[in-house]
Amino acid sequence: MARVIEYIYRDSIIHQLNPLSKLAWALGVMVLALTFNDPYYLLALLISVGLVGLTGRVMKDLSGVMKGLSIFALILVLLQVVFYHGAYREAVTLGIAMGLRMMTVVLSFLVFLSTTQYKDIILVLTEKMKLPYDYVFMFMTSLRFVPTFLNEAIQVGYAQQVRGCPIDSGNPWRKMKAYIAVALPLVLISLKKAERLAIAMETRGYGSNNRTYYKEPIISTLDYFVIFLVVVLIIGAIILRCKGLGVLH
Amino acid sequence: MNPVIKIDGLSFGYEFGDSVLKDIYLEISPGEMVALVGQNGAGKTTLVKHLIGLLRPPAGKVRVADLDVANTRVSKLSRQVGYVFQNPDHQIFHDTVQAEVAFGLNNLGLPREEVEPRVTAALSDVGLEHLANENPQRLSRGQRQRVALASVLALRTPVIVLDEPTTGQDYQERKQIMALVEQLNKAGHTIVFITHDMSLVAHYASRVVVLCQGQIILDGDTREVFRQTDKLAESLLLPPQVTVLANQLNEPLNTSVSPVILSVDEMQEYLQRVREVKRNGAGD
Ligand SMILES: Nc1ncnc2c1ncn2[C@@H]1O[C@H](COP(=O)(O)OP(=O)(O)OP(=O)(O)O)[C@@H](O)[C@H]1O
Ligand SMILES: [Mg+2]
Repeated sequence: MARVIEYIYRDSIIHQLNPLSKLAWALGVMVLALTFNDPYYLLALLISVGLVGLTGRVMKDLSGVMKGLSIFALILVLLQVVFYHGAYREAVTLGIAMGLRMMTVVLSFLVFLSTTQYKDIILVLTEKMKLPYDYVFMFMTSLRFVPTFLNEAIQVGYAQQVRGCPIDSGNPWRKMKAYIAVALPLVLISLKKAERLAIAMETRGYGSNNRTYYKEPIISTLDYFVIFLVVVLIIGAIILRCKGLGVLH
Repeated sequence: MNPVIKIDGLSFGYEFGDSVLKDIYLEISPGEMVALVGQNGAGKTTLVKHLIGLLRPPAGKVRVADLDVANTRVSKLSRQVGYVFQNPDHQIFHDTVQAEVAFGLNNLGLPREEVEPRVTAALSDVGLEHLANENPQRLSRGQRQRVALASVLALRTPVIVLDEPTTGQDYQERKQIMALVEQLNKAGHTIVFITHDMSLVAHYASRVVVLCQGQIILDGDTREVFRQTDKLAESLLLPPQVTVLANQLNEPLNTSVSPVILSVDEMQEYLQRVREVKRNGAGD
């Protein structure tokens, strides 16, 4: 559980790709997912994303998250069925399409994030895309701290349980009350951590101008190919869509 | 006597990693004071987490105080086992030291008249009685560590596990904490403590368990373990200097009969004896 959106080091071709091409791919997947609403098209897209994840050898690590997501998707389907004004069949199809769409988009970004180092993402966003460094850094750092935070949550849970705090209790009311003992230290730790991070950065010269970079990710032939492929797919999708394929009315 | 901790062929690996513990067998009797040592990443913390169910062993593999850890709730095990974490900030959240220490006792459902004296006693044990009403967030790291320690000691569990209780403490505090742990041990508590400080081991432990890459490579009486310098070197462990010196002086003699020296005092005594023997010998 603590492994959500965390860089996972593996020796794979996906890891070696330039962050830009992976980002282009993830955005491309999102465009495709929004273009179509035919469940079959979306399923094919989801499978293709899964194959990319398998090539990146991170699917096993993401399986836990995916399980959670599919439950969420199922709830989406049910909500559609209950609240949709129209034919039952339509409602189910639409619900399934929405669930698949969500899973596809989330999975593609998870694959992107788990195969790409944060520092490389920051680098291409600021240097290549010319986004302001401070904002990129802030955004990426908060993402970076999600797994750390989850891990802290687990540790704090442990520390309270061993003092007899009943967060493992069967009684939901007692359990909820017990969670206060987890939430408070977490907030305190996070505040402390943020403060420490700020100090650590400043003492190492963050904010003095003209930064240089340790290593620039290279753009290889494969990257050009991937970006080319994404562009072709998007154009293809738009053509299909204009012809009325892949969309249900 | 029935062992209070019994580990019977425990192996463990984290979800996505290599195996961390390999076929561990360990029995600890009530009243023992055991030091668990080994390099960073040897698996010490992983091992002791199995004693209180923070990591679930397979059924029947780990028994503590006649409970099968595999299917007992942590909050129930916490009545038998106290566990002091490496990082005090994982547990501290009340705004007075006093309330922090009382938290565990309240969880056990003790009445107020019993909680108060126990809190006071625990705080004076760790030398923090003068800070009882202070906010723990304003204390130094070493002091917070002692708050955490007090909050576990207050529970007075038969077994106490301490994961590096003395890191970040100055010499005085280190001695104070270990003296307290020793005193608890004398009062009948079973103690398992993890440390990297071999002089603490020499001074306080009666038994040493050496963990090396997930396996127990040495387990025995402190003196016996410190005699085996070669084996210890595998784990890059070095007995206290005075022990090494004594071992080296003894090398030409038969090492299995010459004593293992654990402290400067013992060394002094030993040298005095040697000198007397020599003097008497010379008198012949
Ligand atoms: N939550 C975790 N997930 C995955 N691997 C872990 C986790 N915790 C520890 N490990 C791994 O298990 C091994 C043993 O770790 P452990 O914390 O038990 O060592 P230790 O002997 O307590 O070390 P130290 O002296 O540094 O405290 C290490 O290789 C570590 O990387
Ligand atoms: Mg440890």
